[in-house]
Amino acid sequence: MSYAYLFKYIIIGDTGVGKSCLLLQFTDKRFQPVHDLTIGVEFGARMITIDNKPIKLQIWDTAGQESFRSITRSYYRGAAGALLVYDITRRETFNHLASWLEDARQHANANMTIMLIGNKCDLAHRRAVSTEEGEQFAKEHGLIFMEASAKTAQNVEEAFINTAGTIYKKIQDGVFDVSNEASSYGIKVGYGGIPGPSGGRDGSSSQAGGCCS
Amino acid sequence: MHETEIHDLSDDADYAAASKQGSSSMTRSDSSKRSSSSDPEDAEVVYLKDNVTIHPTQYATERISGRLRLIKQGSSLFMTWIPYKGQGSNARLSERDKNLYTIRAVPFSEIQSIRRHTPTIGWQYVIVVLSSGLAFPPLYFYSGGVREFLATIKQHVHIVRSAEDANVFLVNNFEDPFQRTLSSLELPRSLANGTPSSSFTGSPSDGNQERQEDHVSSVQQNNRQRQKNHDPARDLSIQVLEKFSLVTRFARETTSQLFRESLVDGHGPTEKRKNNWASKDHQHQEAALNDVENVPTKVPVASDPLEFDKLTLVWGQPRQHPLGPEEWSTFLDAEGRVVDPNALKKRIFYGGVEHNLRKEVWAFLLGYYPYNSTFAERQYAVSVKKSEYGTIKNQWQSISPEQAKRFTKFRERKGLIEKDVVRTDRSLPFYEGDGNPNVRLMHDILLTYSFYNFDLGYCQGMSDLLSPLLFIMRDESEAFWCFVSLMERLGPNFNRDQNGMHAQLFALSKVFSLSPPMVYTEFEYDKTLRLWEVLWTHYPSEHLHLYVCIAILKRNRVKIMGEQMDFDTLLKFINELSGQIDLDPVLRDAEALCVCAGENGAASIPPGTPPSLPIQDGSIYQQQDDEVL
Repeated sequence: MSYAYLFKYIIIGDTGVGKSCLLLQFTDKRFQPVHDLTIGVEFGARMITIDNKPIKLQIWDTAGQESFRSITRSYYRGAAGALLVYDITRRETFNHLASWLEDARQHANANMTIMLIGNKCDLAHRRAVSTEEGEQFAKEHGLIFMEASAKTAQNVEEAFINTAGTIYKKIQDGVFDVSNEASSYGIKVGYGGIPGPSGGRDGSSSQAGGCCS
Repeated sequence: MHETEIHDLSDDADYAAASKQGSSSMTRSDSSKRSSSSDPEDAEVVYLKDNVTIHPTQYATERISGRLRLIKQGSSLFMTWIPYKGQGSNARLSERDKNLYTIRAVPFSEIQSIRRHTPTIGWQYVIVVLSSGLAFPPLYFYSGGVREFLATIKQHVHIVRSAEDANVFLVNNFEDPFQRTLSSLELPRSLANGTPSSSFTGSPSDGNQERQEDHVSSVQQNNRQRQKNHDPARDLSIQVLEKFSLVTRFARETTSQLFRESLVDGHGPTEKRKNNWASKDHQHQEAALNDVENVPTKVPVASDPLEFDKLTLVWGQPRQHPLGPEEWSTFLDAEGRVVDPNALKKRIFYGGVEHNLRKEVWAFLLGYYPYNSTFAERQYAVSVKKSEYGTIKNQWQSISPEQAKRFTKFRERKGLIEKDVVRTDRSLPFYEGDGNPNVRLMHDILLTYSFYNFDLGYCQGMSDLLSPLLFIMRDESEAFWCFVSLMERLGPNFNRDQNGMHAQLFALSKVFSLSPPMVYTEFEYDKTLRLWEVLWTHYPSEHLHLYVCIAILKRNRVKIMGEQMDFDTLLKFINELSGQIDLDPVLRDAEALCVCAGENGAASIPPGTPPSLPIQDGSIYQQQDDEVL
């Protein structure tokens, strides 16, 4: 399937906050209460539409535990968007956000769009982090913010799609030089995107064979 | 046009890195020649042969023809093989392959031997083996000229014919470990055991080559008679060696490319590479690739004399049935000692263990039971170990809530373990359902282990390693001690270097878990158990897992190369291989690779490499580029 753009995402955050479940809900529209432990990295992909243009999201789901940080870091490069996830029922996962951000700032490109997600908002009765705190943190650090639930699917679509919308807008605004160095921003230009004089179009067709199958 | 130039520049950097391996080794071994080698004016082509071809796969359409040259530079002789431009129906595939296989200025100081093959049917070819033990793919001389090639070399470097094999020419090296490796091959036996194979790919025919030398393209297809000194064992070993040379080359290129990309390429290797490859500007690229002057487009060549190599080879001994109780008893003496541990390991290597016997046999394989222990001694040891386990377990069980409140590290570890055990193999009946006692046991064992080895603690992936042990042992204490043994085995440098440990665990769990993340059938789980016990035998190598990896790569080679996989895609592809791996053939391949590599293989694994793949960060990648095999 052809696309106008491909955006590469990365999902980060502490272990057990629901990264893989968010991905599964987004790509497969289902929830698995006991998802397998993610070791290293897993992948997902889905097409979405923004501004009537087909956009493919290629999503890298990472392992959360500290010991995998050195591995996770290598996936920041060339990501256009990041979903930084914490668990509203576990305070410590919120407290660790700063160190995740630091990693991201250090290893990702400066224009990466970061969406902060307070997951498990269906468990409001066990809430340990208020919505306001989440909002406040996002505001301080220039992130988009949303509370979501991988279980009920609340705000899952929105989180992924709003992030893509922001990236798309950055392209329209000329923040990225997509005709030249799109790949370094985690963006690939396909059919109907802003044309790159040579590389882009062929690149997309080969990508479609390699990654969305 | 401007963009194209930028692409090309980035390409250049890639290829500078790509060719660095070759040229840096040249610099290393031959630093005094550096000035002359940087000056192409000095170079004199002393031998040139067109239509020298490699066969990356068994398909005739995927062959790559090129020009072979010997270049004299100062007192050094170099060999290059540059593929022709734009040949073949599958242009993109061959562009990639061409780059992969191009031989850029290999100094003869780095070449250990050259093996000449003059089959009665088919083209003559040579295999060039480097001192490192790596071999280039066989170079098929479609237009003849092997003799001339060797004669030219002889004029410039010291080359002697091996006393043991008239078709092997030794360069620089008089001890000839290559020879030893060859003669140590046990392959005839394994292949005679019923593996169908292309039996005439590599039959040497010592007397025949001179006549054939220059008439190769009009081969006499009927000439199938064997020479008087024909040795079938040798044929087979050569055949395997030939295939092996493809694999080493491929594996080295693949891995080094993988490491290089993640290291050098600042960002998005997928996109960049894909765009580059797909760009219509192949000419520019070619110019960047072929550092040497223009190579002519394809020279017409006679068609394939015989499609003899289409058969897929499966190597190694056929897998046997698993070790059963009756046979097991024959390994024990009257008091229960294992009489010949090596024979046992060998037996298990070739067939694994029947499920019901695993509880007992794994305890030996993992080192929990000493091989020379008697029934009575083991019984006693088990009870001692049980109480020892209880003592360690009690250390954390006795932590009161008040104490835990002031013990952050404990709370963190406990929390991690609690989160992870409910995410480990839950689709297996043994672990499924709420409040499953086995999940609780896994939790207790892991937490106890984090007290037993407090410095190491707990890290993700451990639950995956423990799960099969508990499943087999069905006993908390015994599973614990087997887990302890397993962790000890996973590398002598564990306790010194936590990062290494973590990285190894990561690699291990990736390599070992043959089970798919979501669909977890008993059958898949059983394959995991089988793979484990086979690896634990450390027969024929403690690094067998490396060969298993190569075997897996090899089996997917056509796909990996056909789709021009880059770092992202390759990683994704390998991730998704889990659950798709046909274990028995992979083990057979791995065995054959391991046996073929012999001492050369062992020598190229750096000393101290723990029985696991070191995958961690840039600093490790840098040093192991060439040492992966």
